[in-house]
Amino acid sequence: MRRVFPSPEVLRPRAPFSRWDLVVIPGVLVLLLLLTLALRGATAPYGPNTPDLTVSLNPAHLPYYGLRTLLRMLAALLLSLAFTLVYATIAAKVPRTERVLIPILDFLQSLPILGFLTATTAIFLGLFRGNLFGLEAASIFAIFTSQVWNMTFSFYASLRTVPRELQEAAAMLRLSPWQRFWKLEVPFGLPNLVWNAMMSVSGGWFFVVASEVISVVGRDQDQYLPGVGAYIALAIQQADAQAMLWAGLTLFLLVLLYDQLLFRPVVAWAEKFKFEQSESSDTAQSWVLTLLQRARLSQRIARLPQPLWEWLWLKSARGHRPGVALEPPPKPRLRTRLADLGFNLLIALGSLALVGGLLGYLLGPGLGFGNGQMLRPNPNLNTQLSPEIAQRFAALGIAPSADGSVWLSQLCAASRDGQALSSGLKALLETPGVWAPANLAAACQAPLAPAGKVAWPEVLEVFKLGFFTALRVTFFVLLVTLIWLPIGVYVGLRPRLTQWVQPLAQFGAAFPANLLFPLFVVAIAHFRLNPEIWVSPLMVLGGQWYILFNAIAGSAAIPNDLKEAARLYGLRGWNRWRRLILPAIFPAFVTGGITATGGSWNASIVAEVVQWGDTTLVATGLGAYIAHWSTGEFNPHVGLGMLVMGLWVLAYNRLIWRRLYQLAEERYRLD
Amino acid sequence: MQSNRKTLLEARNLTKTFTTPEGKPFTVLEGIHLELQEGEIVALLGRSGSGKSTLLRCLSGLLRPSAGEVRYRGQPVQGPMPGMAMVFQSFALFPWLTVQQNVELGLEAMGIPAPQRRQKALEAIDLVGLDGFEKAFPKELSGGMRQRVGFARALVTQPEVLFMDEPMSALDVLTAETLRLELLNLWQSGRLPLKGILLVTHNIEEAVLLADRILVLSSNPGRIRAEIAVTLGHPREREDPAFQELVEEIYRILTTRPAPERATLEPLTLGHRLPQAPVGALTGLLERVAEGPDYGKEDLPRLAEEMHLEVDDLFPLLDAAELLGLAVLQAGDIQLTAEGQRFVKAGLEGRKRIFAERLLQQVPLVGHIHRVLHTRPTGRAPEERFLRELEDYMSTEDAEKVLATAIDWGRYAELFEYDYNTGLLSRSEEVASPAAG
Repeated sequence: MRRVFPSPEVLRPRAPFSRWDLVVIPGVLVLLLLLTLALRGATAPYGPNTPDLTVSLNPAHLPYYGLRTLLRMLAALLLSLAFTLVYATIAAKVPRTERVLIPILDFLQSLPILGFLTATTAIFLGLFRGNLFGLEAASIFAIFTSQVWNMTFSFYASLRTVPRELQEAAAMLRLSPWQRFWKLEVPFGLPNLVWNAMMSVSGGWFFVVASEVISVVGRDQDQYLPGVGAYIALAIQQADAQAMLWAGLTLFLLVLLYDQLLFRPVVAWAEKFKFEQSESSDTAQSWVLTLLQRARLSQRIARLPQPLWEWLWLKSARGHRPGVALEPPPKPRLRTRLADLGFNLLIALGSLALVGGLLGYLLGPGLGFGNGQMLRPNPNLNTQLSPEIAQRFAALGIAPSADGSVWLSQLCAASRDGQALSSGLKALLETPGVWAPANLAAACQAPLAPAGKVAWPEVLEVFKLGFFTALRVTFFVLLVTLIWLPIGVYVGLRPRLTQWVQPLAQFGAAFPANLLFPLFVVAIAHFRLNPEIWVSPLMVLGGQWYILFNAIAGSAAIPNDLKEAARLYGLRGWNRWRRLILPAIFPAFVTGGITATGGSWNASIVAEVVQWGDTTLVATGLGAYIAHWSTGEFNPHVGLGMLVMGLWVLAYNRLIWRRLYQLAEERYRLD
Repeated sequence: MQSNRKTLLEARNLTKTFTTPEGKPFTVLEGIHLELQEGEIVALLGRSGSGKSTLLRCLSGLLRPSAGEVRYRGQPVQGPMPGMAMVFQSFALFPWLTVQQNVELGLEAMGIPAPQRRQKALEAIDLVGLDGFEKAFPKELSGGMRQRVGFARALVTQPEVLFMDEPMSALDVLTAETLRLELLNLWQSGRLPLKGILLVTHNIEEAVLLADRILVLSSNPGRIRAEIAVTLGHPREREDPAFQELVEEIYRILTTRPAPERATLEPLTLGHRLPQAPVGALTGLLERVAEGPDYGKEDLPRLAEEMHLEVDDLFPLLDAAELLGLAVLQAGDIQLTAEGQRFVKAGLEGRKRIFAERLLQQVPLVGHIHRVLHTRPTGRAPEERFLRELEDYMSTEDAEKVLATAIDWGRYAELFEYDYNTGLLSRSEEVASPAAG
């Protein structure tokens, strides 16, 4: 029997707290307090009689608004995590489901995020009737859709690429499915999942700003949820430059806080799950992580769920039962073929039903014909959905619909096909904010689509708008690449420079670019520049950082011996670029490019229509179309816009990026 | 076969067939009859591709046989059974768990509560000599220590049968030797409830050092070619003449083609699986044999030991040399032919000429490529064309490997050129264009 002599440390009684707890304990208490505050605000009652929600531009309120915004982000993150773990696992493990689930994910990923907001507001309000949480939920859901797709794809990919030997070890040890999931599959996928999550959250600040102002049916005003985004929106509307500066400062602090208290600690913690065989020399450091690991209180809290976990663990154990082989038992071929057939049939029917329903809702009778002629668009005359104009129409005998739209068909009916326009109507049609066709009689002659439905000419028009936006995205991503790629390479080749530039670039990617939009508006208006061209850079303002830090990461990873060989052979200038640098960073460029263009498409909704006070600049494009129709409740036009944008993004990704990605993987891998 | 010892594990008529992604079936194992008795160590020896790893996995329940059955103590094996454990070639430790957590993993699956788990795990860690490293992570440990953790994890569940899949091949020679001796000590001490060990290896000496019985497997498809009982007493010394004779015998078995194949020496087809032998290694081997004291004849075990080559590295070179007619293998020796002698004596240009001549004569695939390139007016052909032809004979993966070998040989012999980026093969008479930028 071995003799073990206890060391003096073991004999000394363990203090319940260490000096690190001095920081952690107050920190935890403050967090709890803030959480209570926010929850109370988020679940306040809200009904038809509650006054409109608005924010104040007083900077003293900004800390509270910042708190609410931050908590919305975190709630969306937790939701995304839960969704990822469930959806990706089902897609990876249940046979045949991936054929359905992954394409759905692909398509949902291509849809513009802000479209979701319009679509789901009514649903959530109905769900949480009488409570403000309905609006909060809509906002959180919109942020959720900006984070989740990336994470789900990443976890799905990890589940499919678990190393064979670890799977065999797990099978030999007879781990139960529950044990295998938490001991093998989740840890294996964690580094990628964490990285994607943090990147998504960084990108999410942009959408938080845009998703805190919600228009509710039945109310004239937009509802401003307490948050920094709403504050900024109000400041823009009232052209309050000082408020913008305060908001900028708050956002800067928020992003800094998120970076230090969440991003870096989590990424540093996830390092321990990396599937590598040797310690890498440059591990991520985080003072928060070190703090938490050394404080006793946080260790205690981490151990709280231990008994429950242990119970679940042992309950699921196989004990003395045999394990499961790595391959499924062979099934009779006929049965598999029948099951496959049945499943494919189900998918086919389901897709047809879905597409049919969608088209019916979006287009329906509008795609038909009347009197042998194709139905023409029936646009909304009250372009800003302004309540006073709606009232004036009502006074003249034309009843506007619930959200204030007045349709061309109604005007035609009221003026006997444009022949008998009353003077009041004529004057109203000339007010700014009201659209009227140039030749009313001719417009009314043609058969019009039913109110609110889309007609064929509009579908073509929308595709054309998509083309314009695509042109903009392509051109400006290329431009941004030309600018940032050389800079990124310059930095990446110099390790000391990389050390402090890369965190800056990551920070820049997190900071929402919408804050800078008003500057552009002012500049464009002042210099009388063409908005069609000059509004476009706004789309890539946020995404350009991804190109930069992928360029940095790519060039920092060029192996030293290649660089030395180039130097020895006198490879200089353009030759060096052509032979060494560009091929080496190509994979990293593709990764950054995909993110940048994806972000630009999404940003187009808020970037093609920009406002500062009374000045509103509009560029022709799909984003502007969707933005225009999103004021108010969900309608077929928004649906069409979202669908078309989704199709454009899908086509773009498949035709361009997927090819480039395959090229990068096959020919340009550095291994 | 009557014996007083009980049969732990047996396989009857075990056959394993895989389907390639293209849908073609290929047989990895065929008609294997195998028994593991209590108290013995059995080694499965064979070249890579002989299916020995697949056999191990079928026996342990990780894979299901396509035909035949596996029984453990009379029970049919449908999956890994309690009482079985495995040690892996690349250790298969979970990088995010400490040594202690890795070792406890098997006990967690058995539903043993935490305090007992801890105690058993600490005992197992102590057994393999890693006391003090309980809280270390695998990436902090050396290869030998990681494999010790692998052993601890396997042994903590008190298995009766231990499967080992080339456990020492990822370790350096000294560590491997140490671990082998420690394993033998543990086995012979009787401290463990371990009753049988099944070891897969491609190291002939390791098999002779450890095993009581050695089963030699042939490749394509895998069958048991020979069974050798090792009656040497422990400790076994490498310099012992009986030991060396056994090693020689095994080399003899491995280099002799089995009787049915020798009778019908058909001409090689286009789809003959070329041995994966890089030209540099091949020329190195031939030079080494020529330099030997026996004027171009060398004893294989000695050659392997001096060149530090394992079976998996050496045998492809031997096959290639034999295929090209540069050497013959007989009775555990390699002997250079006249062509082989001329090859070694020639300079670089001469060697290329001889190699080209041999390729065109002996390797149908290279001749075919050469002909195609010369009959085409452009003198160019994409690699996909030849890949498709090869896929009639084998899976895509194998076809790619065979074509890569043919291209490697053809380039050395300057019979044709190959552009990696475009995947084009071209006649070598053309002035070599600078690589497409």
